[in-house]
Amino acid sequence: MSMAALPINLESDFGVFEQHRANWFRDHPGEFVVIHKGQQAGFYPDYDAAFRAALRSFGPQSQFLIQQVYAVEPVFVIV
Amino acid sequence: MAVIFLHDSPSGLQQHGPRIRISISAPLMEVEEGKAVGLEYPRPLQLLALIDTGSSLTVVNPEVAQTCKLRPTGITKVSAAGGIGRWPEYAATISFPEHDLQSFELIRVVGCPLPQQEWSCLIGRDVLRRWLFSYDGKTGAWTIEE
Repeated sequence: MSMAALPINLESDFGVFEQHRANWFRDHPGEFVVIHKGQQAGFYPDYDAAFRAALRSFGPQSQFLIQQVYAVEPVFVIV
Repeated sequence: MAVIFLHDSPSGLQQHGPRIRISISAPLMEVEEGKAVGLEYPRPLQLLALIDTGSSLTVVNPEVAQTCKLRPTGITKVSAAGGIGRWPEYAATISFPEHDLQSFELIRVVGCPLPQQEWSCLIGRDVLRRWLFSYDGKTGAWTIEE
């Protein structure tokens, strides 16, 4: 499986997400988690709320990761 | 509620597909906050996008994301012609400058190469879930109803 070149901190935060997603799924299934500098920074009901909260908390110059908390990673098809 | 009617020849619609001009940029809320602290953002980029019922998500070529300085906010697993891979998701605003359709003020778009296609953006079913979209191959017409 290929992986596009990503900002290092985004890949790092994605690793944190992968590490914790099974645990997080138990309490926050389907919610959107914000991860910033390796730390979980809140769960939100949708992407919009997560993005607004992250932008407000960390500012427009910061990098943050937003992922939906799933049990099995979905695969989106493009044809 | 807007209804827009678009038209091509039947052969043109078959060859090129249903398409619509979009304007894409970093999310307006991010641009406002960024400009307030001195950051610069490019003007919104206008391009023709293919309305692709076969795509579950809206996709842009990575060059579009780079040109528009879109912010990567996530990672998505995608199955495309080149196989399965993980690609970045970007936060964006998409509007429709030639039509009276509501903008998507905050939408995730996947940055994934679209090789050997004349398109640099595919409008996927994440957008279509807000529209009633109809395609008439006999006349070459397509309509979008909000």
